Amino acid sequence: MPITVTQLNADEVLRYMGCPPEGADAAVRSQVESCTRELLGMIRPRWSWRALEIAFEMEGVRLEGGLLLPGEDLKDHLAGCTRAVLFCATLGAEVDTLIRRAERLDMARALTLDCCASAAVEAVCDQIETELQGKFPGCSFPFRYSPGYGDLPLEIQGPLLDLLDAPRRAGLCATGNHLLTPRKSVTAVLGVAEGKIEAKKRSCLGCPAQGSCQYRKAGGHCGIL
Amino acid sequence: MEFCNLLKSSNPVILDGGMGTMLQARGLKLGEYPELASLDHPDWLFDIHRSYVEAGTQILCANTFGANREKLRRTGKTVEEVIPPSIAIAKEAAAGKALVALDLGPTGQLLEPTGTLDFETAVDIFAQQVRCAVSAGADLVMIETMTDLQECRAALLAVKENSDLPVLVSMTYEERGRTFLGHSPACAALTLEGMGADVIGINCSLGPREMPALVEELTRWTTLPISVKPNAGLPDPGGAGYDITADEFAEAMAELTELGVKCYGGCCGTTPEYIAKLCDALKGRTIRAIPRQVPAAVCSPVCALPIDRVRVIGERINPTGKKRMKEALLRDDIDFMLGQALEQTQAGADILDVNVGLPEIDEGSMMVKVVKALQGVTDAPLQLDSTRPEVLEKALRVYCGKAIVNSVNGDEETLNAILPLVKKYGAAVVGLTLDRNGIPQTAQARVDIAHRILNRALSLGIRREDVYIDCLTLTVSAEQAAASQTLEALTRVKQELGLKTVLGVSNISFGLPARPLVNQNFLTMAMTKGLDLPIINPNLDAMMAAVRCYHLLMNIDVEARDYIAAYSGAAVSTSITAGTSGTQVAAPLGERTLEQIVIAGLKGEAPAATEKLLETMEAMAVVDEILIPALDTVGADFEAGKVFLPQLIQAAGAAQAAFEVIRARLSAQPGGERAPRGTIVLATVKGDIHDIGKNIVKVLLENYGYPVVDLGKDVEPAAVVEAVKKHAAPLVGLSALMTTTLASMEATIRLLRAEEIPCKVVVGGAVLTEDYARKIGADFYAKDAKESVDVARQVIG
Repeated sequence: MPITVTQLNADEVLRYMGCPPEGADAAVRSQVESCTRELLGMIRPRWSWRALEIAFEMEGVRLEGGLLLPGEDLKDHLAGCTRAVLFCATLGAEVDTLIRRAERLDMARALTLDCCASAAVEAVCDQIETELQGKFPGCSFPFRYSPGYGDLPLEIQGPLLDLLDAPRRAGLCATGNHLLTPRKSVTAVLGVAEGKIEAKKRSCLGCPAQGSCQYRKAGGHCGIL
Repeated sequence: MEFCNLLKSSNPVILDGGMGTMLQARGLKLGEYPELASLDHPDWLFDIHRSYVEAGTQILCANTFGANREKLRRTGKTVEEVIPPSIAIAKEAAAGKALVALDLGPTGQLLEPTGTLDFETAVDIFAQQVRCAVSAGADLVMIETMTDLQECRAALLAVKENSDLPVLVSMTYEERGRTFLGHSPACAALTLEGMGADVIGINCSLGPREMPALVEELTRWTTLPISVKPNAGLPDPGGAGYDITADEFAEAMAELTELGVKCYGGCCGTTPEYIAKLCDALKGRTIRAIPRQVPAAVCSPVCALPIDRVRVIGERINPTGKKRMKEALLRDDIDFMLGQALEQTQAGADILDVNVGLPEIDEGSMMVKVVKALQGVTDAPLQLDSTRPEVLEKALRVYCGKAIVNSVNGDEETLNAILPLVKKYGAAVVGLTLDRNGIPQTAQARVDIAHRILNRALSLGIRREDVYIDCLTLTVSAEQAAASQTLEALTRVKQELGLKTVLGVSNISFGLPARPLVNQNFLTMAMTKGLDLPIINPNLDAMMAAVRCYHLLMNIDVEARDYIAAYSGAAVSTSITAGTSGTQVAAPLGERTLEQIVIAGLKGEAPAATEKLLETMEAMAVVDEILIPALDTVGADFEAGKVFLPQLIQAAGAAQAAFEVIRARLSAQPGGERAPRGTIVLATVKGDIHDIGKNIVKVLLENYGYPVVDLGKDVEPAAVVEAVKKHAAPLVGLSALMTTTLASMEATIRLLRAEEIPCKVVVGGAVLTEDYARKIGADFYAKDAKESVDVARQVIG
């Protein structure tokens, strides 16, 4: 199913920009609006997914086919799940070009576009998550979890992308240092539990920024809950 | 049986079908590496190949799609261990009934600028595979499933430089007719045919029903045979298979014979059954040779530009006579050149000339840097401008698309040195009508030289459409009779040789008053004589106006769309004044002071307000008494949480616009510029590609008057050290966004210390903290862009 994003949460974009929503003047808000329009008018989100059995082992979570997702945090997070859906999503390389070009012309606009793109890729993932949840009626799902959260290392990006055939299906690759390219992209693990599990909230504890988060330093939070 | 004979015959050529899906059907487990099938499951592989041959396949792809050293790294096997047995098994299964191709798929990493893989590294990765396949006896190479034209070029170059094998090159497109990276079939065709591909094609991603539109686009831009290898329909995003049957596949494929497609096969989801039915459906059909006429054209990966009307070449990226550009080259200020590029394309340039020749710098490495950076921000095709063949070759290697080489002339030495490069990299070339004896006086002698250049180009296999002749503009104030000779030569080159023509226009008026008047009129005269590619300053509206008017009056600008788009509502001065630039009408100046304008971040109002102040104030006083205090006010409000990052950057943008005005004023006065302050080197460390924070820091630092050398992202520690030494920088700023790249930040600092360079280091980035900064040996931690300015003031003053 094609994913289409038709709006972005302006307050979320503002928070990404380092600007509390109440501190944004009309000029900043109108810039967010125009960048949102420009970005949503050109993105073509692409994604792929795959459902796999999972097994809990000493060192982490073992996916069907053999890939180990190492660490304690994901194990805790997936407690009660029997399967996991892997997915990846990207806004595509043209977004990177758009931002790069804007940086040479108007840095304020570039920052706004960059933050709109971050919000857009989250919105894409939200839609994918909803879509995927619909494929598992009667199941419950802890929130999606990505490499870099907690102690789940970025090194697994490459093997995850391979499992998802991501380079071919979505044009999504990892660099030699395990960063996703194009930049505005996500890989995630969505646990699937038969029946009810304890609801987990996305919280600062699972966030890769943790101790060094700009929002926390400023006494607030990023708004993702 | 040879590949070239298959291509020459009038029959369709049958390729094979899917391999990955076949291996899975055989029992390849999830997580197993398909590339290792030749070692782990040679019998499966043999059977699959054999069943394709039995189905009618004439060319088998060996199971080497992902057998490159990057992808094999995780398997513990080498290219040399995997490719020879893969080819041997295919050859055995072919048993002389089919040819065997080395299958080259993508490396699995994205190249610069989207990714971090360097072009030459990619060439080297593919070259290793090609060498291996040559010794294993492959009959040809099939480059497949490419989404990046640059990666495709790397693979093709590797084939050409390491073998004599024929090569089929195929890319994969989405339904919108572009690859994931936005590259088009037209650009692929122009580029790959130029570089010596034997067949150009489309594979994977889509089904056969989506092929006709893509094939038609290819046929407009290449004379080469076309190959088509679609999937068994469209895939399910969850990997549950493809949506059309073997019969439907065969039927849809057979229709492509009408379009003259030469090679037919299948990709993901297709099986020997699909190929057998395809063979049946094609039985008895011959492929008509449909004559194709490909126009003169150049391209970037996303923009194919036919020279079917006047196309403007922007001349601004050239240090000759441009002080600011010279400075930028000496300071490695690539951003300045990118700004010049975008300004010219916004003004209407179609192509950008790139000349970075300065005696003080390494022209070759600067050319590579600038070409790569330009292609990261602009879609305009480039004209690579140098007198040195080695510089041109470096530029041609990394340029993605079909470039113009500027230039050769009638002298044997340049023809011998440069035309083979034009051929190898598939460029177009500008031929100057001069030779060892200088510029001939007469039109006849210039036409003769043009003829000589054309003949040499044709003898090397360069297309006639790719030779553009420059009949040379001489300064009319020195030789008044020369202009008419230039125009006559241009007319004759056009009529007698049928070639496209180039002309640098601005030179005509040197030494005269009201130069734009002369330039504009000469340009119009030249266009009526058939000038295709004027090299001009597109930022001067008088010049662009002449081009737009020409298109309007010659009925090229259909319904006057371009003309109206450019001028409706614009208050264009109808008198042409010397030195006017642009149609911009100064924003009405309100009651705001420059200080208020900067604080409010009103970039558009800043230049006019600055101009006005400069009527009564010294330039440096404007900086010291107005701009810096205004920035400080915004900075203090930012620290106090009264304004936030967006407003801080807006203010910086407005200040920058004011600084540009001041800078222009200062450089016009001899000795007017203040002695430069210490340079700051900025870099996003090796492995990290998130650099917007660093770029924001740069803008702020520059606004406070610090010269900044920006090394970009993914920067090697050694490159930082080299730049700090070269510019004797007292301060280095390093950024990293990811925890995984903090190690490179530490390595960079360590190397700076080991080399005992007396510079301070400031670090920043989302994951850094004050403590961590100290731990890795940084002198300062800046939590935001404003703090980095504070650090600069402390270190440099």
